[in-house]
Amino acid sequence: MNNSGPSFWTVASSTLHMMLSSATPVALAALGGLLTEHAGIMNIGMDGMILMGAFVAAAVAAAIGSAILGVLGAILFGIVVGLFFALFTVKLKSDEFIIGCALNTLALGLTGYFARAWFGVKGISSEAYFSKLAIPLVKDVPFVGNVFSGHSVFVYLTWLLVVVMWLFVYRTPTGFWIRAAGESPETLRTAGKNPERMKWIASILCGVFCGLAGAYLSLGNLNGTFVEGMSDSRGYIAFACVIFSAANPAKAYLAALMFGFFDALGGQLQGVIRSDLPFAYLTKAIPYVITVVMMVYVVVRAQRKRTRMAKQQFKNLG
Amino acid sequence: MKNVLAWIRRHVNLGYIAAVAVSIAAALLIDAVILLAAGHNPVAAYRELIVYPFSTAAHFGNMLEYAMVLCLCGLACVVGSRVGIFNVGGEGQLLLGGLVAAFVGSRMSGMSLWIVIPCAALAAMATGGLYAFIPGVLKVKLKVNEVITTIMLNSVAAFVCSFFATSVWKNTRFNEGIDVSEFRFATLIPGSKLSTAIIGSALITFFVWYILQKTSKGYEMRLIGDNPRFARFAGLKTDRIVIAAMVVSGMMCGLCGMFRVYGAEKAFISTRVSNEYYFEGLMVAMIAQYQPIPTIVISIIFAILKSGAMGMQSVGVTIQIYWVMQATVIFCMAAQSGVMTAIRKAGERRAAQRDVAARKEGGAAHE
Repeated sequence: MNNSGPSFWTVASSTLHMMLSSATPVALAALGGLLTEHAGIMNIGMDGMILMGAFVAAAVAAAIGSAILGVLGAILFGIVVGLFFALFTVKLKSDEFIIGCALNTLALGLTGYFARAWFGVKGISSEAYFSKLAIPLVKDVPFVGNVFSGHSVFVYLTWLLVVVMWLFVYRTPTGFWIRAAGESPETLRTAGKNPERMKWIASILCGVFCGLAGAYLSLGNLNGTFVEGMSDSRGYIAFACVIFSAANPAKAYLAALMFGFFDALGGQLQGVIRSDLPFAYLTKAIPYVITVVMMVYVVVRAQRKRTRMAKQQFKNLG
Repeated sequence: MKNVLAWIRRHVNLGYIAAVAVSIAAALLIDAVILLAAGHNPVAAYRELIVYPFSTAAHFGNMLEYAMVLCLCGLACVVGSRVGIFNVGGEGQLLLGGLVAAFVGSRMSGMSLWIVIPCAALAAMATGGLYAFIPGVLKVKLKVNEVITTIMLNSVAAFVCSFFATSVWKNTRFNEGIDVSEFRFATLIPGSKLSTAIIGSALITFFVWYILQKTSKGYEMRLIGDNPRFARFAGLKTDRIVIAAMVVSGMMCGLCGMFRVYGAEKAFISTRVSNEYYFEGLMVAMIAQYQPIPTIVISIIFAILKSGAMGMQSVGVTIQIYWVMQATVIFCMAAQSGVMTAIRKAGERRAAQRDVAARKEGGAAHE
């Protein structure tokens, strides 16, 4: 036995701790993305929405000196971005793929440009940010405390939002209409509801959630700092999570947790591997490889299921 | 004279050219507001934008080199989208192609240039093609969304490149880099990045245009892109053609990476070989509506804008404004075509209403 390193339980709890914090932005964005997915919009532009949210939150917090107002700014701006996205994809009926790509590029350009122009080469670094919360009682429980305590408030808020979104999607009329807007818009129109309107609502809410995800990245995770391109493909990973979960909020959160786990594992492996070679680059690639593997697995499994059901039906007919 | 006009009308889509021109003008107006909001002087900035690319031979050469990159990447996207598959992973294919090409060059030290360059090019094409083959097969055989897989593979490729270029394959005293300055394309304009690689790019561009527009293969590809079911029932091996298109697209990106390494940078340094260049090429292809000739023209226009954006740095504007410009042009084009469709539909509806009203009146007169 080698006793020089940290014990297994310390490593395990810190990995799980990192898993929760790095799953949160992906989960928040995925909660928004599953609405647009239900409404029948292919939303590639989430990455840009997250980036703009991160920028606005950090910029407002730095300018006003209040982290809460920073989040509020990100939410309001998220509404604007959602409206903008819906204007093109719903109203003007542009190609969703093109608009999503353009939105990502626009976000990368605008945030980088204004960060330099308004805040100088240092970038944005807000004094006000969300500090990590130590939860009374829980933090003293040996293993559990290390995992669940000491996160920013966003992590706990996300749990609440997952429940709220599940209820919203599956248990409210609006949620039902949003799903119908994607699945069978003509039926919805016959029922007297406007599918376009549902798409607008989904798109706006998606903007809000992505704004929150961005606000977490800059104000919660990085202590008030905005870094250029800090969304780091999380929007795309969120999109993948939406697909894994068939746009179910609870499953989407699990998918995000899985991404968070491999992200954390990669981070931990960096510390474990003792080598002159920069293996950190390779461990950072792990979550992206896993996403591809998961994507294949989920699609194949869904196909198998469909084939089995078709065979069953065929047998019943015979 | 009349014949010329008729030819132009038949072969040139004047409406499209007008749409692009108006969109770029509108985008520049919007960007002027953005420049103002950031506290820059739009007039001074735009003067640099127009003057800088043509101010010196080196600037002009760099502009052309960038146009070459945009054009290759844009066409790589066009080849995929022709058969209905979106290669968003060109960035990774480009980086990996450049990396492997640089590795091959660094291990063939002392050999003839005429052996090394083709070897490096082949290696780059093979790497890029293989890396595109993965999402291609996944899409065709298993129906896995190629947009997500290619984007994930981009990140993977970037990390892999950083790993090799900073450690095992590194051959410079710098932190990162595979030096290949021993073998390189001859520089065409002294002091610029423009090299003879542009001749290779021009040849590829011509072949792509020729195959897509002038051969039956190109027609088959368009058929698959427009209506895959019909193409399958017509007896085309759609699966194989789609995968092949994806691989060719990846090969073009890989080769583009090799051109960057051996032509412009003379070394593989991942941040310098490509900085989201493929995405910029993708945007060009989108503005060109995935047509080869417009892709070529628009890559030159955007190369001028990019070069001009570098010039704008002298008045304090940072290079990110280029991304803003590209995106605003796309939004303006989308808005324009959306509004035009809406107006046309409204016109049709009014005409139909008039028709109905006229018929009613006619009916009333008869009675």
